[in-house]
Amino acid sequence: MKLIDALTLIRRPLPENVPVLRVSLACGFTPLHFETFLTAALCERSPVERMEVTTGLFGDLAGNIEGVRPAACDVLVVAIEWQDLDLRLGVRNLGGWRVAELPDIVNSARRMLARIEKAILTAAASLPTYISLPTLPLPPLFTTPTEQASAYELELRQALSSFAASLATHARIRILSASHLDEVSPLANRFDLQSELFAGFPYQLSHASVLAELLAALIRNPSPKKGLITDLDETLWSGILGENGVDGISWHLDQKAHIHGLYQQFLASLASAGVLTAIASKNEPALVQQAFEREDLLIDKQSLYPIDVHWGPKSESVRRILKTWNIAADSVIFIDDSPMELAEVKAAFHDMECLLFRKTDYQGFSQLLRHLRDAFGKSIVSEEDSIRLDSIRTAAALRNSSNGEGTSLDTFLQDAKASVTITFGRDKEDRRAFELINKTNQFNLNGKRLTESSWMAYFNDPNSFLMTVSYDDKYGALGKIAVLLGRMQGKAVTIDYWVMSCRAFSRRIEHQCLSWLFENLDLREITFAYHPTDRNKPIQDLLASISTAPLSKDIRISRPDFSEKCPPLFHQAKATVNA
Amino acid sequence: MHNLEQLQNLEHRLVRCFSSVFPDLDEAQIRNASIESVPGWHSLASVTLISVVQEEFGVQVSLADLPSLVSFAAVQNYVQHHVAS
Repeated sequence: MKLIDALTLIRRPLPENVPVLRVSLACGFTPLHFETFLTAALCERSPVERMEVTTGLFGDLAGNIEGVRPAACDVLVVAIEWQDLDLRLGVRNLGGWRVAELPDIVNSARRMLARIEKAILTAAASLPTYISLPTLPLPPLFTTPTEQASAYELELRQALSSFAASLATHARIRILSASHLDEVSPLANRFDLQSELFAGFPYQLSHASVLAELLAALIRNPSPKKGLITDLDETLWSGILGENGVDGISWHLDQKAHIHGLYQQFLASLASAGVLTAIASKNEPALVQQAFEREDLLIDKQSLYPIDVHWGPKSESVRRILKTWNIAADSVIFIDDSPMELAEVKAAFHDMECLLFRKTDYQGFSQLLRHLRDAFGKSIVSEEDSIRLDSIRTAAALRNSSNGEGTSLDTFLQDAKASVTITFGRDKEDRRAFELINKTNQFNLNGKRLTESSWMAYFNDPNSFLMTVSYDDKYGALGKIAVLLGRMQGKAVTIDYWVMSCRAFSRRIEHQCLSWLFENLDLREITFAYHPTDRNKPIQDLLASISTAPLSKDIRISRPDFSEKCPPLFHQAKATVNA
Repeated sequence: MHNLEQLQNLEHRLVRCFSSVFPDLDEAQIRNASIESVPGWHSLASVTLISVVQEEFGVQVSLADLPSLVSFAAVQNYVQHHVAS
C-alpha cells in the first residue's frame, strides 16, 4: 500500500455506530507512517470497524508495554527493534561499539528481553497481543566480516529466539513469522538511515507497509477453511487405479511419484489438526477399497471421510460430502488434476475454491501446499480438533439410524448411553468457549461475535455466567460442543449468547441445556436475546418448537411451557458448578 | 507529452499529495498553501507530506531541505527540478 492511499483510507467516512477496535501500538521508535499503515491495513481488512490506534513514548518500549491499560484497548501490538533491547544496538545513540563493550551489550539485551517478556505476559493476561521481532539489520558493531556471524550476534539471536518461543505458547500471544516477512520485504530495503536520524522513524515506506499489513493479518485474520475434498488418481497417488491396478499406483521417490507422497503426508497433517478430509473420485469402489489397504499409504484411511467413489459427476460427491460434514461450500477446498472436473464442481458450488493439482509443476505444487497451509492455518490445535471427524461419523450413523422418525430417534438416543457434562461458572479463561462463540453460525442465538475485550468485560457483571456443555456417548466423545453466556436476575435468566457445534445436532443436547437451567437454578423463565440470521435456522427451529408466541427479539420461555414441549431426554447429566 | 501537459499533470498529482495530508483544504487553498496559512502544517505533517511526495514522484528528498519546503509552490519547484534532473 502506498502512503497516500493509506492516508486516504484511514479518513474514509463511517457511520456513527460502527464498532471500534482500540489498538495500543507499543514501539520504541516514532510510530509515524507505521501507525498510518497499521491503521489503514486494519481498515482494509475490517471495513465496518473504526480503528483507534494509540501510541506511547519515544525510546521506551518496555515502559510503553508496562503502561498499557487493558480497559482502554482491545488489542496490543508490540513492534520490537534491536535498539529497544539496548540503545547501542541502534544508530541514534553513540554509546560505543568497542570490543570490550560487546558482552555488556548482549547481557543488557538479555535483561531488557526479560523485562519486556514480563510486561507482555501481564498485558496478555487480558489482551490479545501481537508481536513483531526485530525486523531491521543489526548495525555493524561486530568485528567479524559481514559474511561471518559473530558469536555475540548469535548470542543475541539466541536470546531473542528463547524469548519468542516462550511467548508463542501463550494462548493470547501471536508472534509474526520472521521468515514470512523475509519473503515479502527484502532485508536490504527495510532500514532508512536518514529517516531514523532526522525523525526517529527507522523504516523505509515499503517495509513499514508490509510489516503493518502482516500484523493486521494476524489481528484480523479470516476464518480458516474447514474441509478439503481430494481426487485420487494422479492426485492422491500417481497412476490410474483402474488401469494400473492397486500395485501400479505410486507415491514414492524411486517411482518418480514423490510429489504425491508429500501430498498424502500434508493431508495427514491437516487431518491431524482437525481439518476434514474426504475423497471424491470416479473409480470402482471395490478397487479403491483395496488401494486403501496398502500399508505404505501415508494417510490413514480413517482420516478420510466420507470416501465417495462412483462414476457419476463429481459435484454429486461434493454435495453428499458437504451434507455429511454439515458445512457450507465456502469453507471447503476441492482439489483435482482435471480442469474439467474442477469446472464441473465450480459450476455447482460457486463459493467453493477449486484448485488444480499439477503433478509435473513442482514449483506450483510447492505453492499449492503453502496456500493450503494458509487457508487451513489455525493458531491452536484443540482437543476438539482431534475428535471432530469421529463425531461426524457418529452423526452420520445417527442420521441413518433415526431416519428422521421421532420414535426411532427416541430409541436411538435411549440406546446411545449419552452423557452431558455441564460446567457452570465464570471461567473467562475458557478458550474453547470463546472460540465456539466466534465460529459457530448455524446453532447461534443471534450471530453476535465477541472480541477478547468484550468477552472479558462480560464477566464484569457479577450476575453473568458461562455454561459449557461436553457430550459423549457409546459412539465416542464430541468434547465441548455448546456454550451459553447469560445473566441471572432472581428466578429468571437472560441468555445473551448461545451456540452449539453442528456436530452435536439431533441429540437433544439443546433441550438438556434448558432443562438443566430450569431445574438446577429453579428458574421461572428464560429470556433469549434472539436475532434471526441468514444461517441460524437450527436455533430458529428449536425456539419455534418450544415458544408459545411468534419469534421476536426477546423470546421468553416459561418453565411450564418448556416442560410441556420438551421431548424425552435420555442423557445422564453431570454438572460442575463453580463459584 | 508536451511540457505544459507534464506540468499540469505534476501539479495535479502534487495537489493529490497535499490533499492526503491536509484533507480539509480544497484545491484552491492547496495551491496557495504555506506553513503560515495552514494551521495543521507542523513538523510531523511536513515529514508525512515529503514522504508522500517522495513515493509519488520517486524523488529522494533530503530531510535537510525540509526547512525550505514550506509552501505548495516551493514543493512544486523542488519536485519539478528533481524530476527533470
